[in-house]
Amino acid sequence: MEESGRNGGAQAVINLGIGSSVPISYHPCFGPHEDLLLLEADDNLVSDIFNGRVTLRGLPDEDVVLCTKSKTYAIKFVGNSNSMFLIPPSICPGFLQDAKDDDKVSVLKTAPGSMELVEISPRLDKLKQLLSENPYGAGEVEAMMMDDDFDHQRDVALYTWSDLVNTIQASDEELRSGLQSLSAIEIDGYWRVIDDDYLDMILRILLHNCVLKDWSFDDLDEVEVVSALVADEFPSKLASHCLRVFGSKVNEDDKWKLEPRLVCLHFARQILREEKMRLESFMEEWKKKIPEGMQGRFEMLEGEVLTEKIGIETRVYTFSVRSLPSTPAERFEVLFKHRPKWEWKDLEPYLRDLHVPRLSMEGLLLKYTRRAQPRADAEPVFSAR
Amino acid sequence: MEIRVKCGCGEEECSEWTIVEIQGVVETQSSFEGSIQNLEIGRLCRSDSSQETYTFTVGYHELTGSKVTLKKPLLVLKKVQKCTDDLVGKETELEAIGIIRTKILFKTRPKPLISGTYALSYVLDCFLKLWSDKSELLLLCFRNKLGCKRVKLSMAS
Repeated sequence: MEESGRNGGAQAVINLGIGSSVPISYHPCFGPHEDLLLLEADDNLVSDIFNGRVTLRGLPDEDVVLCTKSKTYAIKFVGNSNSMFLIPPSICPGFLQDAKDDDKVSVLKTAPGSMELVEISPRLDKLKQLLSENPYGAGEVEAMMMDDDFDHQRDVALYTWSDLVNTIQASDEELRSGLQSLSAIEIDGYWRVIDDDYLDMILRILLHNCVLKDWSFDDLDEVEVVSALVADEFPSKLASHCLRVFGSKVNEDDKWKLEPRLVCLHFARQILREEKMRLESFMEEWKKKIPEGMQGRFEMLEGEVLTEKIGIETRVYTFSVRSLPSTPAERFEVLFKHRPKWEWKDLEPYLRDLHVPRLSMEGLLLKYTRRAQPRADAEPVFSAR
Repeated sequence: MEIRVKCGCGEEECSEWTIVEIQGVVETQSSFEGSIQNLEIGRLCRSDSSQETYTFTVGYHELTGSKVTLKKPLLVLKKVQKCTDDLVGKETELEAIGIIRTKILFKTRPKPLISGTYALSYVLDCFLKLWSDKSELLLLCFRNKLGCKRVKLSMAS
């Protein structure tokens, strides 16, 4: 079999000798074979596929995406009006021909085209929406503490890692970093975001403990912090999570440092909520809330708050980059709906996180904005195209 | 939902497929009845003179083309329906069953063989074979090359 296999099929075409010829026929199994697809793949992807590291993701009503470990690709079907005669090897499981025909070259299918891959940004907007449906908060913690047999059969929708993989069109790495940027945490097997007020409570108790126990913000021991917070009836998992949300690890040991920007930002959001405030009264209230030893500077709030001038009064309000869509077209639409004209220093914080494969920030601006510069020395102003 | 793309063979052993691509379509003569399975389309010849020049003779027509190494390989994927233990649903998997690295591309219009004095000697046997069995005569129809059509692929399909 092996010997004759080398004489026919695709091999006979590939290795056709100079001056030789070979007849080409329709395969005994010739047909539309719609279950056979051609996928154009570069060498990296080929090796990923052969190592079983590639999946297709999407719901039945979505355009499917292909995910490797770290990247997401859209799949485009590119039709070809040429006839592409697809020729399998002579011995091809599933498409058998008579052994005597092993030396024949046969066409199994006329391929109408092939699939091409285009790298895209992961589609993470849905992740935020799904997790925000049921943030984890104080109510739930109490219910669990009151009732030891707290029933895990909740009525509300919660999502495990595999639920998310089945719903969100992103590669594993992109999904993980998406969860991280939402400060999500896995509790009892479900990925959750923490209710802002509950997080505020934990943070304030943590800061309170720092004062009480004379801990430095730059040198917090995870074990000590967690045990202090557990004593105040917070679950230990959430105590460590609080350090992750507001701090960063120092070295490799369990030492943490609170990040002033993150802490100050949190208090700014707590003050502003949905309101617009006069800048002066906001600053006053903000300074009061910020723990002693930290400095609140307005630049810390880039990408989180905006100011507007009404008459002589400047007002400040929440406008968070995290609440904006992650696809560039939708992002710019929301931005220009909110404010028709943007100066670069205001606009930039709302674009910083947009990563579009093969498109630079310059390219993005050219594609989605109109740039106006009233005078040569004036700041450019961006408006919708 | 998630569909795993897997491979039963591994990169080294993955069998190589190939493509013969012509600009146009091959049709059977209108008088032809019966199934086209096993029917001969034509004869592929690699010419004596130049390294990678090929001819493909179909009926009265001869095409001249060359071997092209694909910039990016094409993987041949097969949809596989797997029955899962629970009777609820079938699981779909995609399996890579082959890889295509080269194709023989005929991108020129065909030359009619009747008037051709060109290279008659070595196409003669394909030519005569086709004459000897009229039921296998195939007619090659050519149309203008259309632009690529782009179609979206959805999970449902």
